[in-house]
Amino acid sequence: MNVDAMIAAAKRLGAGPADRLDVEATARRVMERLREQPAHRLAWIHVQWVRIAAAVAIVVGGGLALHQMWPVNEASGHPAHFVADDLSDLSTDQLRDVLARFDEMVGATGPVSPEGSGDLRELDEQQLRRVLRSLEG
Amino acid sequence: MAQPLPRTETTPDAALIAAWQTGDEQAAAELVRRHARALARFLTGAGAPESELDDLVQETFIRAFRSVDRFRGQCQFRTWLMTIGGNVLKDFGRRMKRRAVIPLDEMVRDVTGDPHELAEASETEARLAAGLKALPRLQREVFLLRAQQGLEYQEIAAALATTPGAARVHYHHAVRRLKETVK
Repeated sequence: MNVDAMIAAAKRLGAGPADRLDVEATARRVMERLREQPAHRLAWIHVQWVRIAAAVAIVVGGGLALHQMWPVNEASGHPAHFVADDLSDLSTDQLRDVLARFDEMVGATGPVSPEGSGDLRELDEQQLRRVLRSLEG
Repeated sequence: MAQPLPRTETTPDAALIAAWQTGDEQAAAELVRRHARALARFLTGAGAPESELDDLVQETFIRAFRSVDRFRGQCQFRTWLMTIGGNVLKDFGRRMKRRAVIPLDEMVRDVTGDPHELAEASETEARLAAGLKALPRLQREVFLLRAQQGLEYQEIAAALATTPGAARVHYHHAVRRLKETVK
């Protein structure tokens, strides 16, 4: 097909359906639909707000889900971790030694022994671990 | 309600648009009467099935009237309307795909299969319609705006937010591909 024939065919393309279009009815229907449907601007703003709300929900929801899957220590940004847990293999005497050494190191600022206990030797294993945890804050 | 604008066939589109912006519905109706058939031909050439043509024309005018504040007279109103029509047709194609009816590409008017259209469409038109559906959207629209609607590259470029040179290149690519496929 040469270019002239192509252009001539393009000019005729769609002529039949266009001629069959009831233009008066189309104009009437367009006006009716414009009256029936709310203003475009309001609809657009509504759509934008819905999109923004959806984005916020995704971000917040995703954050909460991640937080539940991998809880983080707010101060360090790492999962909560206690040194006392690492000392779980130590015996009561060994825990007492650790605390005593710690007591010596911070002796200038005050005793490690909890109020009322008087002496580390009086504490059992559970109490010693509690003291270690309290020192970690 | 605004005072209706006294209209004649020579009332410029710009005056009708300004009247519509003040709420004159008759001005909008006149714009529909003026441009509906040209828009219908463009949409048909771009692949709109005749059964959906009226709806697609209506939808195009509704979108145009609602966003007419964005029309700055960079091109003719009719040209601007056709670019909106292209978007309406694209959205229609997407909806059809989602409904898994028939993809837009396959939905392009098949003049060879419709006895009524076969009677009125020449063989050349049928081949051209088939060739157009194989073109990328931009090439198809530039070709139709140029060959079917007779627009200058400057006008096409303004409507499609491109340069006249780029519009010319798209047109020539379209012609070359059509010559290959429509033999």
